[in-house]
Amino acid sequence: MFKRRTRFIKGYLFAAPLLVVLAVAVLFPALYNLGIAFSNFDPMSNVWQFSGVQNFAKLGNSPFFWNSFKVTLLWVVGNVSLQLVIGLAIALGLNSIIRFRGPFTGILLIPWISSFVVVGILFIWIYDPQMGVLNDILLRLGLIERPVAWLASPQLAQISLIVANTWKFFPLVMITLLAGLQDVSPELLEATQVDGANWLGTFRMVILPTILPSISTGVLLSTIWAYNSFTLPIVMTGGGPLRATEIFGLHIFKLAFDAFDFGAAAAASLVLFTQILIVILLYLKVVERD
Amino acid sequence: MSLKLSKRARRRLTKGFVYVFLVAASAVVIFPYLWMALTSFKPIEEFFTYPLQWFSRNWTLAQYAGVLEDPKFLTCLWNSLLVSSIVTAVSLVLSIPAAYGLTRLRAPGGKSILVGILSSQFFPPMIFFVPFYIILSKFKLLNTISGLVFAYLSVTLPICTWMVATTFRNIPRELEEAARVDGCGDIKTIFEVVLRMSLPGILTAGLFAFVLAWQEYIFALLYTTTTAAQTAPVLLFYYLGQHQIDYGRLMAAAILLSLPIIFPFAFMQRYFRQGRGEGSIKG
Repeated sequence: MFKRRTRFIKGYLFAAPLLVVLAVAVLFPALYNLGIAFSNFDPMSNVWQFSGVQNFAKLGNSPFFWNSFKVTLLWVVGNVSLQLVIGLAIALGLNSIIRFRGPFTGILLIPWISSFVVVGILFIWIYDPQMGVLNDILLRLGLIERPVAWLASPQLAQISLIVANTWKFFPLVMITLLAGLQDVSPELLEATQVDGANWLGTFRMVILPTILPSISTGVLLSTIWAYNSFTLPIVMTGGGPLRATEIFGLHIFKLAFDAFDFGAAAAASLVLFTQILIVILLYLKVVERD
Repeated sequence: MSLKLSKRARRRLTKGFVYVFLVAASAVVIFPYLWMALTSFKPIEEFFTYPLQWFSRNWTLAQYAGVLEDPKFLTCLWNSLLVSSIVTAVSLVLSIPAAYGLTRLRAPGGKSILVGILSSQFFPPMIFFVPFYIILSKFKLLNTISGLVFAYLSVTLPICTWMVATTFRNIPRELEEAARVDGCGDIKTIFEVVLRMSLPGILTAGLFAFVLAWQEYIFALLYTTTTAAQTAPVLLFYYLGQHQIDYGRLMAAAILLSLPIIFPFAFMQRYFRQGRGEGSIKG
């Protein structure tokens, strides 16, 4: 009995410094943010005044807020689906080979480890209308007749940005699915093939059901990171053209540091947070059902 | 003519397709870096040729010289190094004993605390934009290295703790018990058994913290304004904002900035491939 007690105390004694720092650096700021969202806060005079949902009402009336809401939704759906398709295709490829699997996986993980700013710069340079290599390749192949300004029109900029972000993030989905594919039973796979099922049939009947949990995890992770994005859009387009790429992260940034409306920025960050929580809850529900 | 292939031939053909596909995917992954490297060795005149000249006729190191002679870049590089090293050291010093306490000493509720700590990793950084700004300005920490360290710890601590805890959990408990039977105290057990056995995992966690801090960009952009604390990624952003963007210099700087994380990556990728690094880099 006594021994258990000392263990209890000791365990927390060891953890105490970390827990204190986390309380100061994570928990307190998060709660502080909550407070700011529900008050009228003047950073200059440091006067707090409870204002209820006034900040949220202000957001609801702002067309820019709804614009970023829509842009974010598009951004998340575009990124997640593209990353899932590419990540799954590559994971299946990697899983079906033995030779060179390590080197291929290593290379394909490079984007994930790349710094966001560097990725942004890489793609600005590739997309550049005059000096960019993308136009150069497409022109040489005869696929386009004149250079395209990839980041200059709203829709094209949205797509170009999603492509760049997918380049950066597909490895996360890939590696998650690759781990899931290890659970596919070889006996079952062989049995289906002996039965004469074609590739698609095998995939649907054996592989897909097994990796469904990994797919949910992959979708969850890529959804969260898509919602949390900030760097690529601010580096590549600054939210433009015509706010077409102003996802939530950027909108909150502008509210806080261009308009200095801390209350609205905090409120918008809570809206973002809530969306992520909903996604996580959905995920937990799906996982529980299985 | 109907194409009838034996089963073996068909299998080989499929395999061939898979390899072609993977080579193509790898090419798409490597190409942007290759292109950046090719650009960084070009003299500026060759940027504007039409059609583009992929390989330089006059290879030059001028872009690199330009970057390395820029005192601003060197200062920012030093700031990056300083912040990343401090963040790594602090993260490890805090997370190792905590992970030990929560997993090995079986503190009740330790598991849920760990999960709670990990889940904070998924918080959008945007909820910290305003509070960090206010806190840092109150304590006069805006535009200082210490201020950045404070902000970065919110990112590195959760992931470091989780990684170290995972490593600790994989050490057979018998070894530890044996050490205790031999009369080792807590501290001695930690140093002689646990730390030695989990050194690779701890190194990986440290490297991870370093890489995260080295690449961090959001907080550095928000809370630094001068080279007193500006890190290299932020400087790159300012290079971009200039009226006449000097792409050659930008590419050279981006290469120099990427190099320090290529080597840790070679070491870390084994860890990633085990799928344990799921959901890590934050941006």
